[in-house]
Amino acid sequence: MSPDRPAMIEVRGVTKRFGDFTAVDDVSLSVRAGEFLTLLGPSGCGKTTLLRLLAGFEFPDTGSILLDGADVTCQPPYRRNVNQVFQSYALFPHLTVRENVRFGLRMQKVPAAEAEARIRDALGMVSLGEVAARRPDQLSGGQRQRVALARAIVCRPKVLLLDEPLSALDAKLRHTMQLELKHLQRRLGITFVFVTHDQEEALTMSDRIAVINRGRIEQLGTATEIYHRPRTPFAADFIGQANLLSGAVVARHGLTARVRLDGGLELTVSALELPVDATKALVSIRPEKIHISRSRPQTENVFEARIEEEIFQGATDQLRLVTDQGTRLQALVANESAMNEAFHEGDRIFCGLHFDDLVIVHAE
Amino acid sequence: MNAPDAQSAQPATTGHDRRQPGWRAWALLAPMVAWLVLFVVVPTVILLVYSFCERDEVGGVIFSFTLDNYTRVFDPVYLRIFVRSVGYAGLTTIICVIIGYPMAYYIARAPEARRNQLLLLVMVPFWTSFLIRTYAWITILKQEGLLNGLLQALQLTSSPLSLMYTPTAVVIGLVYAYLPFMILPIYSSAEKLDHSLVEAAYDLGAGPLRAFASVIIPLTMPGIAAGTLLVFVPAIGMFAITDLMGGAKVPMIGNVIQNQFMQARDWPFGAALGVVFMSMFAVTYLLLQRRGARIHE
Amino acid sequence: MNLLKTALVALSALIGSAGLLAKGELNLFGWSEYIPQEVLDGFTAETGIKVNFETYASNEELLSKLVAGGSAYDLVQPSDYTAEVMIRRKMLAPLDLAKLTNLGNIDPALMKLPHDPAGKYTVPYMTGTVGIVINTEKVKTPVRGYKDFFAPQHKDRLVVLNDNRELVTWALYSLGHSANDISKETLAKARPVVAEWVKLVKVFDSDSPKTALLNGDVDLGIVWSGEAAILWNEDRKFQYVLPAEGAHQFIDVLAIPAGAKNQAEAHALINYILRPEVSKLISAKFPYTNPNLAARKLLSPDELANPASYPKEGKLETFRDIGRLAADIDQLVTDLKSAQ
Repeated sequence: MSPDRPAMIEVRGVTKRFGDFTAVDDVSLSVRAGEFLTLLGPSGCGKTTLLRLLAGFEFPDTGSILLDGADVTCQPPYRRNVNQVFQSYALFPHLTVRENVRFGLRMQKVPAAEAEARIRDALGMVSLGEVAARRPDQLSGGQRQRVALARAIVCRPKVLLLDEPLSALDAKLRHTMQLELKHLQRRLGITFVFVTHDQEEALTMSDRIAVINRGRIEQLGTATEIYHRPRTPFAADFIGQANLLSGAVVARHGLTARVRLDGGLELTVSALELPVDATKALVSIRPEKIHISRSRPQTENVFEARIEEEIFQGATDQLRLVTDQGTRLQALVANESAMNEAFHEGDRIFCGLHFDDLVIVHAE
Repeated sequence: MNAPDAQSAQPATTGHDRRQPGWRAWALLAPMVAWLVLFVVVPTVILLVYSFCERDEVGGVIFSFTLDNYTRVFDPVYLRIFVRSVGYAGLTTIICVIIGYPMAYYIARAPEARRNQLLLLVMVPFWTSFLIRTYAWITILKQEGLLNGLLQALQLTSSPLSLMYTPTAVVIGLVYAYLPFMILPIYSSAEKLDHSLVEAAYDLGAGPLRAFASVIIPLTMPGIAAGTLLVFVPAIGMFAITDLMGGAKVPMIGNVIQNQFMQARDWPFGAALGVVFMSMFAVTYLLLQRRGARIHE
Repeated sequence: MNLLKTALVALSALIGSAGLLAKGELNLFGWSEYIPQEVLDGFTAETGIKVNFETYASNEELLSKLVAGGSAYDLVQPSDYTAEVMIRRKMLAPLDLAKLTNLGNIDPALMKLPHDPAGKYTVPYMTGTVGIVINTEKVKTPVRGYKDFFAPQHKDRLVVLNDNRELVTWALYSLGHSANDISKETLAKARPVVAEWVKLVKVFDSDSPKTALLNGDVDLGIVWSGEAAILWNEDRKFQYVLPAEGAHQFIDVLAIPAGAKNQAEAHALINYILRPEVSKLISAKFPYTNPNLAARKLLSPDELANPASYPKEGKLETFRDIGRLAADIDQLVTDLKSAQ
């Protein structure tokens, strides 16, 4: 993704309130053309409202929205070259699959011959050619989902908005559809804005993810960035698992700093995100980044701990640790081989942590 | 994805449902069956039998078999009256749809608490006798009535308008009487309408008018059809409003039938009119039903 | 001992009240808005006879209920021509005139008329006419009869009874025929007259023709005299005129259905109503023409001056039953009305 590509969507300082409730709070966001952006957050965080603002179903109280350079802040949905795939699919029950797909073309007065060709293409793209004459209530959930997709992409929108389109499908079908959607997006080159509360879905599909909480964007970045370098406690906690530990900054040495955790354990952390005058810090540690071994490892941070509980999870083992200082941690170790060194409850082990894997998510 | 869940979505119709109804089921049904027989089947049969009989000089019924009554029904006099009645009822129905649809749609879209209040307001008139409500309209429309008083006080008219005892008054009366029967069924189908379908129409480029015509109207059609039936059918047979508000100047088919049982004392002819009338409703109903079923498939 | 005595007293009381119940009941079937409740209450208070009162709105309703209900009623109130049919079909029981000691109060001119030539079956209750009522504030030209009434300048200013036979009768009168001169030939002659007339009428209303006049929607009417009398009481501008060509006089009578179970009680009520002071109460509430000459003496000058209740001499006729021709009249008027 080259940064010089023009912005397809530009959201500038948008706020939307419903009565006393602020659903979207001063959000600014830029989506590049052809990008797959996911709005990720728990239910009620404002991600759906943000999507509806982009679609034109709601209008912002303040701020503006630009689509491909044009201000569409006050334009109704039927004047925006944006299409949406609804969570409930919203297929017209009185129309056949083909008529559903034709609907948008009819509204745009696309000539019949061209419309037919586009409908055939769209239905082919989602492999629904055979059920074109059926009505929505004669289709399975997955088929309906594809019709909703075909109905939207046949209009060749500049942006496709997807409101939790996979949430009604069962787990297996959802995985298949995630990949299909991703491939479809690559093939069409359309900008996708995808709303979900499922972090795994977000990590799998997105070019970039906007983590949203309480109407604000907590962090915007690629999946890797957000996973490895979360910027806020919420981002660290919502995506994947994290040990969040608070402590005091006791020393700084160039790119690193020493933080004494509340239990007394002292760790060397990356000081990149640490403000100069910070005295307190909240540190995030991903469980799988704690290296567990019986012998002392060669890392910046080494401490001893006892395994309090071991939970077998198939590919991984989840360990609950207590350090000598009383700090509790979760760690994940890969079950590489059944023969390999197994850890058991009560074992004393060494923990190694690379200073770069200790991320400061909050400091004051 | 080869639609296995489409099948499983259908309710399973095996086992219980095909079981023969036992005596208990019949016992539960008995009151309804008795009611239907007593108040629907028996009167209809009587009507049918009478329609082939002759009247005697006092107005009694002589049991015989004649088709004269039916020949008379198709006399141009009665056909013309019938056509006019259908015209009035049709106009009433159209006006009821035009006024009732936006009201019903608005109520269905209102927040729940407000919705119940508005529905209550629609039904409040039923708490008063129909005749009293009609007389209230006479008070409003009469020469020295409220409307004329208002128009003159506002200096919109110089002399009172003749509103009562005109076809306009009849249509006002009919629309007023039957409007709730249009609003309620439309409301119930508009309330079931998934609003995301309307948003989907907007999203696909339909403006408000086209979304209304191509999505909202088709999806609330069952309500419109039911309302049409509930308004059109009784409006054809209505005679009290044409008498009270129209001055009984132009007879409607309802007046003609009523006359046969009263003034003219010709029950067999009245029965024949009734039978023809009822058959026409049945046919209309079946046609609507079939169309509705086709829409639904 | 005491107990036995109490029981005996209670028993005798029971027997006594049962006896009272057995002789004291009467089923009356009359017009709605025609018999004041206070008259029935007075009768019950005096005799202990309980009156079960049911009402009807037309002679046809009375006839069909009597045919269907057999002898459920003890006293009915048909109009003259309906009584005629009932007598002919032996649906009425002859009266025991000896029990009707007050019968002498009735105007002899209203007895033994064609509907009951022997005067054996019916006693007049109230009589009335069908005439013209004029809002004299709005109508300045004199209106003496049907021809004046149905003048082109009165278009859309008329209310008339919604009664097809009445309408045809007026046309026959205007052509010089009598009210009962109804045949296919006379109907054919009346047809063009009625055709012109129905175009002029604004309201047809039999139930409350006074409403349109009171509301100012029309200025002239041909209505029941009782309605006209109420209008006159309301406002003296409403004047009543008996049409010069002739007018329909109706006599509503009291009669006992054949097979009535409580004939003695029915006779008692008839005789009670025939009392002048009782009859006077009826006039006060429903100002039709009172056939009870003794009662008329008790009426106030105002009541007697009501031109609708007591019109000046006119050419009056009662209706006779016309049998099947009623259907022809109905079709004729229906046809003409719908031709507009």
